[in-house]
Amino acid sequence: MTDVDEKVMYDETVTILENQKVNAQYYKLVFSSKRISRRVRAGQFVNLQVEDSSDPLLRRPLSYYRVRSERVELLYEVLGRGTALLAQKKRGHKVNVLGPLGHPFSQTLNGKRRLLVGGGVGVPPLLFLAEHAGREKHAPVFLIGCKSKGEVLPKRELSNVKGEVLYATEDGSYGQRGLVTVLLQKLLEKGDPKSWFIQTCGPHAMLAAVMKLARQFGVEGEASIDERMACGVGACLGCVVETREGFKTSCVEGPVFSFRDLVG
Amino acid sequence: MRPDLTTKFAGLTFKNPVTVASGTFGSKDEYAASVDYSKLGAVVTKTVTLQPRQGNPMPRIWETPCGMLNAIGLQNKGVDDFIENKIPYFKKIRTHLIVNIAGESVDDFVALARKLDRVKGVSALELNISCPNVKRGLEFCAKPELAHEVVAAVKGATSLPFFTKLSPEAGDFLGVAEAVIRAGSHALSLINTIRGMAVDIEKRRPQIANVCGGLSGPAIRPIALRFLYEVKRHFEIPVMAMGGIATAQDALEFLITGADLVALGTVNFVHPKATMEVLKGIEAYLKRKGHPSIDDVRGTLQVKSEFENHHVPAG
Repeated sequence: MTDVDEKVMYDETVTILENQKVNAQYYKLVFSSKRISRRVRAGQFVNLQVEDSSDPLLRRPLSYYRVRSERVELLYEVLGRGTALLAQKKRGHKVNVLGPLGHPFSQTLNGKRRLLVGGGVGVPPLLFLAEHAGREKHAPVFLIGCKSKGEVLPKRELSNVKGEVLYATEDGSYGQRGLVTVLLQKLLEKGDPKSWFIQTCGPHAMLAAVMKLARQFGVEGEASIDERMACGVGACLGCVVETREGFKTSCVEGPVFSFRDLVG
Repeated sequence: MRPDLTTKFAGLTFKNPVTVASGTFGSKDEYAASVDYSKLGAVVTKTVTLQPRQGNPMPRIWETPCGMLNAIGLQNKGVDDFIENKIPYFKKIRTHLIVNIAGESVDDFVALARKLDRVKGVSALELNISCPNVKRGLEFCAKPELAHEVVAAVKGATSLPFFTKLSPEAGDFLGVAEAVIRAGSHALSLINTIRGMAVDIEKRRPQIANVCGGLSGPAIRPIALRFLYEVKRHFEIPVMAMGGIATAQDALEFLITGADLVALGTVNFVHPKATMEVLKGIEAYLKRKGHPSIDDVRGTLQVKSEFENHHVPAG
């Protein structure tokens, strides 16, 4: 990957190489793009137009999950009409993408140890980060929260993740019973919590709970905040996040924000 | 030969009639990666207010069939920041800069007009008296007397030509248009968004924190076209038309109905290069029809007699 230049955005019509269900929760979409694959960083997203039509009108922001040479992979959850239509696309179909977009996660952490906390559609960008964190002195620890065993990612999807992966399921069908913050609290209570740097992505309630624990233990970190989006380039101001310096766009100034900048 | 798209009115010469609707193209270089701004007929910036505005709480947008609701609430850093940090960017851009302004009082509009009157690089103003998403946003556009008052006051405060942007929701739309023209507005912009609503049935809450939001996109295009038709039928006034214009076909519908400028709005969020495609499409249409100039098309709508229009049965 070259140095990140957040102003670069490509507008490309790409051919779908793969689009399939990977578990009860996610679909994986794969396309090839030389330019995007060279530029993209974990935490960034692509704004994808499902159909060349007025309905659904807007693009869908999807986060990057993995890049293998020119292959770009996205993991997504079917949440509404747009993603339901996307799930029906087959190999060979074309879609238009704008990307890479957004401010990514920090790659280097000044000697701190990476602690990834993900839930729901927040997991893919962290997987991307975990794969690229391989060369660090301390392997990262990855905490994943989901509802039940059916949402646990197949082992092959995690085969390139360096470090330990721990699951929490709400119904206790896999790993720790309860929310992902149960795992987080246990981890922070052991040893020196300030040696960690948290990078988190997931539902708003989960992010709030993670940040609350982080504050309690004096741990620094970054959160990727997912908001409803239209343009993805900072023009419409539809996706703002409340920060200590007022509203900032989730699409350009985010989606990744430092805990220090976020309110609440 | 390339068709001539030059469009002239109010002492301004536009290289072509294609521009962007306020609020859909940012305030500076947000679309510079996709569009060569100098190829546009004009750039219209997001609304600027006298004081900074934080805007409305989230959620601010919701997608609807062929459209979207928005209630951004005129988030902007205020006119002083705009003059200092945004306008200089346009110095290198070889097109007209039209600055959209909004105020909560006549005095606000006057103060904004005075400040921008002295700023080099500003070609024209657009008075937003029709924002549905802020307190008092639609007030000036609700009654002809109020519309007249604000336009007359701005007229006295600036030597710049200006557009007045109207809402399709003004009860007495033609009355307001007439008052605005009488008060000296050089041109009209129509239409602003139309208030709409959507509900999250799981949470039983509005999808927009502000409850209602302005509907834009192709869903409102026929309504916009109808308002343009009405205005052009009654008044001799240049119009910047907007409301769901996304393709050359759409733009031509408005130009044929009499639009002087056509502004693309919501489509910019989806297709950043839409303006460039529309320009090419208009040129291709003129070539195909053998017209050397856009003036051969503008306002050439053929309408049969009023009688037939009203569906009076024949015989």
